[in-house]
Amino acid sequence: MGEAKSKILIIDDEEVVLDSCTQILEGGPYHVATAMDGTFGLELVQEFQPDVVFVDLKMPGIQGFEVLDRIHSFDPTIVAIVITGYATVSSAVEAIKKGAYDFLPKPFTPDEFRVITRRGLERRKLVQETTALRREREMLREHFAAIVSHELKSPIGAVQQNLFSLEYELSDLLTEDQSSRIERMKSSINDLLELIRTWLRVITTDADIKKLRESFQPLSVESMISKAVESVETHANRKDIDLVVSLESPLKPVYGDEITLVEALVNLMSNAIKYSRMGSQIFVNAEEKENEILITVADRGVGISEEDLPFIFGDFYVGELSPDTERGSGLGLAITRRIVEAHGGSISVDSALGKGSTFVIRLPAMNTERHNEPAQDEGVLANS
Amino acid sequence: MSKGKRLLIIDDDPDFVEGILSILETAGYEVETAYNPKDGFDALESKQYDLLLLDIMMGRGAEGVMIARKMRKDPKLREMPVLIITGIREQIAYLFPGQPMHPHFVEVDELVEKPVEPDFLLERVSALIKAAEDRKAKG
Repeated sequence: MGEAKSKILIIDDEEVVLDSCTQILEGGPYHVATAMDGTFGLELVQEFQPDVVFVDLKMPGIQGFEVLDRIHSFDPTIVAIVITGYATVSSAVEAIKKGAYDFLPKPFTPDEFRVITRRGLERRKLVQETTALRREREMLREHFAAIVSHELKSPIGAVQQNLFSLEYELSDLLTEDQSSRIERMKSSINDLLELIRTWLRVITTDADIKKLRESFQPLSVESMISKAVESVETHANRKDIDLVVSLESPLKPVYGDEITLVEALVNLMSNAIKYSRMGSQIFVNAEEKENEILITVADRGVGISEEDLPFIFGDFYVGELSPDTERGSGLGLAITRRIVEAHGGSISVDSALGKGSTFVIRLPAMNTERHNEPAQDEGVLANS
Repeated sequence: MSKGKRLLIIDDDPDFVEGILSILETAGYEVETAYNPKDGFDALESKQYDLLLLDIMMGRGAEGVMIARKMRKDPKLREMPVLIITGIREQIAYLFPGQPMHPHFVEVDELVEKPVEPDFLLERVSALIKAAEDRKAKG
């Protein structure tokens, strides 16, 4: 890569400028291309793929500013430098606002041109390195998920499987004490698997959701709420907590991925249960307001202190005042927020220490009349 | 019920395989194992089984899926019930957009997640074999 010559493109309607610039750079590690107007210049941007482009702001035909815009929409990593014949500060400032890296007032000396070219190329290198690093980080993130999944989950899963089978084969021989030790092992390993699963969710949620978006479909809010309630019911019963559900009817559907949205609701409900006292109530409401579906989960539990509120949707926040010994991974709300935002919605909270918390998920409502034939819509809803 | 029934397990994780193999053998099944997709498919083609237990993530990727697809095209293997046992329910979501939880690889299949409880495993295995036999009886 170090051997490769840098590519410089100069777009200017004055032939003398093009000639002298080419001459100045001659003999250096550069490929130089020139264009007399914006249209041809933009063609060259695509063909020649320059590292640095000099653009004269004042040209017949397409204006310099427009050329700048189009260069950036083609490849935002190309470094653009404007040449201003009428060196007014305002046009230079505007060019920089539009994404130009620097400006070169006419007339300029060969040295000035060489220096600004070199700086432009350094800039280009930096931009490319940043882009490459960012891409690498994304890949690492995705691969990390796969690695954790295979290298960590598989062996632990295999250990669990063998515990299952040992217990099964030895069921007639094990003493009560031995059985209970196996039970405890199974339960610890299960917690470990759950934890890995949750971490994986955080790492992959963003990438996952992007992929899931391709298969978004109309979803019934009522059905998602009842699925979520179903999955937390045992937990609620264990703490003698009453889940009071009240839904406005009818509710418009929302557009999204059912599995992740139900997961978001389950997260809010499990939190509400976790931070509620034995025998209390949790209220789940859904209504439509200004073309949004509002789903509210309210508890009368321990609440969240004002200092903590700004952090609860971040990674690894764990409420400190859980009335029992339950402890979470601190990732539930972070995942929930990611899921809701990926659906074009928002999540907010209102809480007072000792009084309880109210979480509200807002999702854009779907206008059923505009989509598909009603019959088909109903079919989709019934399935989901 | 399990007497004389022949099962094949295709999974590249020998430790996991041991954990289900002993459950199935204790329950009276005759079980063979293959630890890579190629041996697995060779066994499927050359011998007769009542059910296949299939892992998804093997080798360089979702090679279990390749086996399932090949089976669907094979007139002889198409009817064989398949129990997919996998640790990757989440990842399946983006392998098969639109069918996140239960991808129908072959006509008669079912998916359980690793690790799997003995009673549940045995129940699914016997139910799938029975369903396949009923289908055959009906012709």
